Amino acid sequence: MPAAAAIKVMVVDDQTSMRAMIRRALQDLGFKDVRDKASAPEALSSIKTDRVHLVISDFNMPEMDGLQFLEAVRSDPVIGKTVFIMLTGSADKEIVQKAAALGVNNYVVKPFAPAALKEKIERVFGELT
Amino acid sequence: MRRVSIVQGENAIVVEPGVVVSTLLGSCVAACLYDPVAKVGGMNHFLLGEPGADHRVSAGDMQRYGVHAMELLINGMMARGAMRHRLRAHVYGGGNIVSGLGGIGTANATFARRFMADEGIEIAHSDLGGTSARKVEFLPHEGKSRCTRVADHVPERPPVPVALPPVGGELELF
Repeated sequence: MPAAAAIKVMVVDDQTSMRAMIRRALQDLGFKDVRDKASAPEALSSIKTDRVHLVISDFNMPEMDGLQFLEAVRSDPVIGKTVFIMLTGSADKEIVQKAAALGVNNYVVKPFAPAALKEKIERVFGELT
Repeated sequence: MRRVSIVQGENAIVVEPGVVVSTLLGSCVAACLYDPVAKVGGMNHFLLGEPGADHRVSAGDMQRYGVHAMELLINGMMARGAMRHRLRAHVYGGGNIVSGLGGIGTANATFARRFMADEGIEIAHSDLGGTSARKVEFLPHEGKSRCTRVADHVPERPPVPVALPPVGGELELF
């Protein structure tokens, strides 16, 4: 079984089209268990009760942004070590640096090709296929 | 009345009254979005794909750039007080003006309609497809727009091939 099939993923983005696109890209990479939520608070409560291995989250979201979400995940004793990849806009260097300080595992600049997403995930998990 | 003109790849977000945003469209699409409660509006002007001299843009690339262009506009509006669930849209353009581009205008128009449906954004007004170039004027604060067909000459910039993003980001942190 390819490694990707064993990795449970939570995709978080407030834009439906973006979630659908990321889901499709992940499925093309061999991921089988991909969930998604439109907001960080929903995703947080979901992964606390049903844990995942990887979170892929947008930065720019109302209510709770990607950095606040990352901080909430990292400060949780149970899910604190979940791999966290952040999606950012190209101009968000400061955000990437803040995310790095908070312990993000990697980041992907939008708009991204599936190959870029694959590369960033593989830098954390090793080869997917 | 203050006038703001945008071209392909740009967007303009307006919160104050008396500002008109305008653009000229051929096969591109302009989405005019507004929140009638917050009185925040904005327009973008995007082209999902145009065959470049040395590469063809895939359907996936087109989708990706369209979603990104819409996200930039919506995020910018939300940062100024708009709420996603209140957004309404006027969409224009997507003309098949230049023969031999494989119905790129139709693809752009189809994307725009599907995007609004997927995001639950009501299209209050649209004028898509056909073979004419268009001039669009939008009053974002008021949520009013006007679209006029213009003569057969396409007054937009020459098509710019979509540049694929480099693999990896600009910061070497990882």
